[in-house]
Amino acid sequence: MSEKKTKEALDRRGFMKVVSLGGAAAAASVAPGVITPAAAYDPGKEETKQRYRETDHVKAFYRTNGY
Amino acid sequence: MARMKFLCDADRCIECNACVTACKNENDVPWGINRRRVVTINDGKPGERSISMACMHCTDAPCAAVCPVDCFYVTVDKVVLHSKDLCIGCGYCFYACPFGAPQYPKVGNFGSRGKMDKCTFCAGGPEADLSPAEFQKYGSNRLAEGKLPLCAEMCSTKSLLAGDGDIIAKIYKERVVKRGYGSGAWGWKTAYKETVAI
Repeated sequence: MSEKKTKEALDRRGFMKVVSLGGAAAAASVAPGVITPAAAYDPGKEETKQRYRETDHVKAFYRTNGY
Repeated sequence: MARMKFLCDADRCIECNACVTACKNENDVPWGINRRRVVTINDGKPGERSISMACMHCTDAPCAAVCPVDCFYVTVDKVVLHSKDLCIGCGYCFYACPFGAPQYPKVGNFGSRGKMDKCTFCAGGPEADLSPAEFQKYGSNRLAEGKLPLCAEMCSTKSLLAGDGDIIAKIYKERVVKRGYGSGAWGWKTAYKETVAI
């Protein structure tokens, strides 16, 4: 009985060992040159272009607000 | 270059909430979010004042300063917009904003906020102008249509002004001169005391 328990415990330790080694290997496989630096959102000219135009519609708004 | 601004004439606002309704309808804003709302002080008492509030498209926007993913950007018209694709719904912008403009749909489980939503000055978002994707995420893009935000255009008492900052400032100055007293602006005396004459 106790022998079985010991065997199970050893199996578990083996499993943990494999997991930890695998994790370390995965971390090591990422070469420093591959890491891309974080970049802020840089909107293009299309996103930030001027949309406001002084159309007749807008002029009418300004005129009626002057009353 | 025109700089887009909102200006609410507190002397004219009658708290009808038409601006709130117009905004919700025009931009298909979901339940639980009000991009614009009317704040009233001294309700029912002498000196009652109402003012329509939304994103004020700050020059040095605190929401953009605190955003950990830098999802905000400013257009040539000086409208502060954000990308919902980048937003992580952290809520920092809500705490930073002095006007309480950023809102969250609260659609997720476990108290997650969802993507932030705020007034876009009816200028859409980073998607292509007037595209269905832009409308679905950010609402209408009236600026691209050659119009101004509907909240201001709908205002029955012409209290809410929107557009080129220089032009609406001129309109407001003319009103002040015609009234013949102070600026009428909310909080003017608190900020500038009695000694400053207009």
